[in-house]
Amino acid sequence: MAMTLTNELPPDAPVVAPDLTLTSLSEEVSNRVLMSRAPLWWLVGFGISFALFTVLVIQMAWLFINGIGVWGVEIPVAWGFAIAEYVWWIALASGGTIVSALFFLTRSPWRSATNRIAESMLLSAAPCAGLMPIMHLGRPGLFYWLFPYSNVMGVWPQMRSPLLWDFVCLLCYILMSAMYYYAGILPDLATVRDLATTRSKQILYGVLSLGWRGSVAQWQNQRVVYAIMSAIMAPMVISVHSVVGLDYAGGLTPGWHDTQFPPYFFFGAVVSGTAVIIMLTILVRWGYSLQKVLTEYHLNAMAKVMLVGSLMLSYAYVWEAFGPLYGSGVADKTEFYQRLFGFTAPLFWSEKILTVVIPQLLWFPAVRRNQLILFLISGGIIVGMWQERFMFTTASLEHNYMPSYWGYFYPSLWDWAALAGTIGLFLTSFFLFLRFAPIVSLAEVREIIEEERSK
Amino acid sequence: MKDLFGIIAVFRTPDAVTNAAAHLRQSGYSAIDAYTPYAVERLDRIIRPGTKVFLPLLMFAGAVVGAAFAYWIQYWDEALSYPLNVGGRPYNSWPAFAVSTFEFMLLAAVAAGFFGMLAASRLPRLYHPIFAAKAFERASRDRFVICIEATDPSFDPASIRALFEQLGAERIEEVPA
Repeated sequence: MAMTLTNELPPDAPVVAPDLTLTSLSEEVSNRVLMSRAPLWWLVGFGISFALFTVLVIQMAWLFINGIGVWGVEIPVAWGFAIAEYVWWIALASGGTIVSALFFLTRSPWRSATNRIAESMLLSAAPCAGLMPIMHLGRPGLFYWLFPYSNVMGVWPQMRSPLLWDFVCLLCYILMSAMYYYAGILPDLATVRDLATTRSKQILYGVLSLGWRGSVAQWQNQRVVYAIMSAIMAPMVISVHSVVGLDYAGGLTPGWHDTQFPPYFFFGAVVSGTAVIIMLTILVRWGYSLQKVLTEYHLNAMAKVMLVGSLMLSYAYVWEAFGPLYGSGVADKTEFYQRLFGFTAPLFWSEKILTVVIPQLLWFPAVRRNQLILFLISGGIIVGMWQERFMFTTASLEHNYMPSYWGYFYPSLWDWAALAGTIGLFLTSFFLFLRFAPIVSLAEVREIIEEERSK
Repeated sequence: MKDLFGIIAVFRTPDAVTNAAAHLRQSGYSAIDAYTPYAVERLDRIIRPGTKVFLPLLMFAGAVVGAAFAYWIQYWDEALSYPLNVGGRPYNSWPAFAVSTFEFMLLAAVAAGFFGMLAASRLPRLYHPIFAAKAFERASRDRFVICIEATDPSFDPASIRALFEQLGAERIEEVPA
């Protein structure tokens, strides 16, 4: 069949390559974990990531010694990169849970090979998100005051504050994600254990797999718990990201004080999370030569999810404009015009192009199949979402109610170091997942293989 | 006769192992277990029939306990131990407590499910007699293993071996206890 711009994959297109068998799947994926020497691209990638990670360590040391004055945050713009990037990272992580949990519930066949990438991604991104507000605290050593624990000072945290809800959400989210990940990977670790040839790896994966045997009772327990966990994780992640939105909606500055923030943030999470999963899937697919397991079918499906996310986001953008323009608040209108035509206008317009205009190319099936274009569009979306998070964090504070109180935010070198450093932390962690854990859910892809065989 | 944990037979396809399990059930064997690389549908209904409600109920209980605990600690904080008047809002401001209650409820449910799953599956248990079987190694990859355990009242190695052969097993092995 000729490949034209508008040819969609046939409905019965194979999810995984037809010649993939249970044997070859287990061996191909496990061998990536059991290789005695990491491939060159892994060493180079890990080296670069680790170098960036050391930037984070240095940045944090400098920040903790000197205080957050080393950043560009000032009055009136007291929320800068750290808060914007907190939202950005948690959105990327949330996208991972959406792909993994929501599409488990819909029984989408493409989810089974990509969910482990999504979960490894989210477990790498969530700590980056968690670090940001702690670095922003000013007195990071006292962050544990957020826990409601009985203390000699006799004080308790303010439970009515969205900022405390946020802390509870993020903590619960990371713990739940870790358990969700582990419940899913347990059988795959047993596969690696049984394929391991060296004593040390047999012991390591033997302990990690907790003695999983794959007996009928164990599978029954695992399946039922995993299904309920998915049903919990999907609304959970929507609530987590909505509460991040409430941090802003609860603020009184023009541009923030808006009820649309919770869904708006969630839409951003769908599009940016899917974008980062697509980028990682393409990289993993080539790096580990898993073309048989991660196929066009997966990329095509995820590109569609990304397109839907982009459309939902544009809907939120329409409301973002409608609020100030239809309402009668002078400050809201002024602030919005400043975004459109003021200091941050280049960020505003380039971001709209990256996250809404260019992703419309995904309507064409040929674009969804072209990995290079898909990779670039996804990268653009991630950059665009960063601009978007940065812009609404600072722009509102820059144009508060009193014009005498206006002022601009200029990031310092240490702001950029925090961004580069958390990207380093994210990539370092993801590379470790790639090296030491099966990156494809073996148990679930086996089911897909059997389904296709019996078709 | 040496002590046996059971006798295992290895099958190549999920259909073969499901048929074998059904056949063994009809022949009156009760202490059967199967080890498969993924959750084979129908097989679990043959070997462990009936609806399993324990883990879902445990998760529900976890959710209830978690929600109660989270609400209580917020109530204790804001209304009893450290009441703070913020703009005249009631001390027991439940709408503001709902978010943390919800999140902690879900965390408790997932944790109950996770640890409940491990406990119900008797994990972690790093050693199990079945691991001694050479043929078991591929059960986590591409083979479907069925085992008749020695605790079965009608356990008799010779007749089981014959039965497995008749069912088309790829490999048969005795597993020492």
